[in-house]
Amino acid sequence: MINLKDIQFFYTGASEASGLKQINLHIKRGETVLLCGESGCGKTTLTRLINGLIPHFYEGTLTGEVMICGKRISDTPLYDLAKTVGSVFQNPRSQFFNVDTTSELAFGCENLGMNEEEVLSRIDRTAEALSLNPLLGRSIFELSGGEKQKIACGSVGTLGPDIIVLDEPTSNLDILGINDLKSIISKWKIQGKTILIAEHRLYFMQGLADRVLYMKNGEIREEYTGVQFYEKPSSFFRERGLRISALAKLGKKKVCPVPEQKVLTVENLEFSYSKAKKLIDIPRVELPEAGIIAIIGHNGAGKTTFVRSLCGLLKKDKSILKYNESTLKARKRLDSCYMVMQDVNHQLFTESVLDEVLLSMKKEDRENAEKILDSLELLAFKDHHPMALSGGQKQRVAVAQALASGRDIIVFDEPTSGLDLRHMEKVAECIRQLRQQGKTVFIVTHDPELILSCCTHILHIKKGRAEGSYLLNEAGKKRMMDFFCL
Amino acid sequence: MKSTSKSSKTVLDPRTKMLLAVTIASVLIGGGSGGIMNIIRPALVLVPLLLFCISGKWKSAAIYAAAYLCAFAGELFLVPVTTGFMNFMIVACCGMFARFMPGIAMGSYLVNTTTVSEFMAAMERMHLPQKLSIPLSVMFRFFPTVGEEYGAIGDAMRMRGIRFGGGKPGKMLEYRMVPLMVSCVKIGEELSASALTRGLGAPIHRTNICKIGIRPYDLAAMLLCVVSIIFLLIDKFSVI
Repeated sequence: MINLKDIQFFYTGASEASGLKQINLHIKRGETVLLCGESGCGKTTLTRLINGLIPHFYEGTLTGEVMICGKRISDTPLYDLAKTVGSVFQNPRSQFFNVDTTSELAFGCENLGMNEEEVLSRIDRTAEALSLNPLLGRSIFELSGGEKQKIACGSVGTLGPDIIVLDEPTSNLDILGINDLKSIISKWKIQGKTILIAEHRLYFMQGLADRVLYMKNGEIREEYTGVQFYEKPSSFFRERGLRISALAKLGKKKVCPVPEQKVLTVENLEFSYSKAKKLIDIPRVELPEAGIIAIIGHNGAGKTTFVRSLCGLLKKDKSILKYNESTLKARKRLDSCYMVMQDVNHQLFTESVLDEVLLSMKKEDRENAEKILDSLELLAFKDHHPMALSGGQKQRVAVAQALASGRDIIVFDEPTSGLDLRHMEKVAECIRQLRQQGKTVFIVTHDPELILSCCTHILHIKKGRAEGSYLLNEAGKKRMMDFFCL
Repeated sequence: MKSTSKSSKTVLDPRTKMLLAVTIASVLIGGGSGGIMNIIRPALVLVPLLLFCISGKWKSAAIYAAAYLCAFAGELFLVPVTTGFMNFMIVACCGMFARFMPGIAMGSYLVNTTTVSEFMAAMERMHLPQKLSIPLSVMFRFFPTVGEEYGAIGDAMRMRGIRFGGGKPGKMLEYRMVPLMVSCVKIGEELSASALTRGLGAPIHRTNICKIGIRPYDLAAMLLCVVSIIFLLIDKFSVI
């Protein structure tokens, strides 16, 4: 079905480290193959070889031969491949060509010139098979990340390809979204599709993956059957920088509860776009000052609204934040809270890392700025353009901005989506350091591994209400894991 | 950007809307006044208002009507009673506003009531080559995304205390545009990759499941456009 022979590939203009070396791979019809490995190991590049984006879209030097169903990829234009290989990508925001769901499902078929009845019947069949009917005829801007990813799967499904390639499809999903995606993948598996999936989150593929390939530095280093792979001990995953293989294993992780002394309260938080439904309604909640508070809850529960209010970004916000003997209204909070955004590119404005820090200071102080950069391992990059840094470094630049501006409360919005173990641990370490400096940290996250690596307190938001606020001790851990394991 | 495919209240074909937008903009900006233009101008100004009302966009209709009336009243009453620099400013502001506003309103109506799919179907019917229709529809698709990104960057700026009156007005634009451009380029690339893997650009006749077509309303609107343009041309070239 898929045959890669002596593949070597380097992106134009990139260092050799980011390419692929010596790839030989044969995938049989109906096989489900999981690609894993640290960030930058070449997983995504390998998926691009199979859906033809290399060499037809991303430029580089390719040697070797990729054959799919007897066709040589380099000689087959992308539109011919569309019927054979379907692709689901990482970012649900940027893979929709249309802005309404039904048109999106029809999109591939329309491009290939199928007639109207054929397109409509394919939409019906796909919507039925993947349970998409409630999502038809909706605006994609109203959908949650998980729902968007379901539509992305559907729009691949209508073309009925034999091979489906997924590139980190769960990066932006919550636990419900992951479960939905899992059930779609298992349906495809039953239909006999050949599936190739590159992922950091490994646990949800247990029982689905027939074969697991571990990649490092652009090579396939190790190969296991699905059963062998998921039987390996935790140390196996840790050594390879892989995420946990089963959520249940997290239960063994130790938590070290810290005494919570001073409290910070949020009062009178209420917000809605229309009169009918309140997006968030929290009359009062007490949280530990100088703690690391994980905000958990499903997509659309109001987590983002909560932190936006905290940072003073919400309009017409009447809520009050009390901490450290001061009482802050929404507007004042713009100067005391800082959010490290999920898409950190939104908050990098200047031409160098040092400028970013100086811009955030009330009075420019070069010495102090360099000290902050040093504490975040960024000093060596102080003259680099922020946009040229890696994702993790950009995130730390945003933290440096927060420190430079002397904020007491720092909010992270999904800081570890799509990160491997090593990078996740780096984020956790950075967050722990912030706490040692006396900052209060809030983390909106779907990542239980991160929570157990650094958080001290949990705030569970459900349907706009504070469902629970508890210390992360052994009992708290159990309560949190119940949420994540459903 | 219209994004649901539920049966909508829009009455016009995307082609008609495009023609209206072009006509309104060119006649109001390019046309003179006096003679027959005294009838055509108000007629064209009323078109977006009428369309907003028909599709139940009362808020847009009210804003448009109020803004236009202000500009018009300014031109009518303030211009004769002021002199010098004030006069110049009022003429410039009100005049520009009254001329550009209807075109902008029509453009926003076009974008807000047409789905990407309808837009592509319309271009297909006009037999535009794919080299033109694909970039145009990508651009059309991009408006709401740019809006979203713009909002997020605005949040980031407020959080960093970069506000109007913060001292560096020149920098404001730069801080807004640099991240906006970076994220638009990235989104554009991902969007293209995803569309190409689903066969966009295949050298065959593209089909479309959404129904568009010219109906009586469209003919009436087109007639208005043609008449306006003819008079615009007469106005420009005959009386020299």
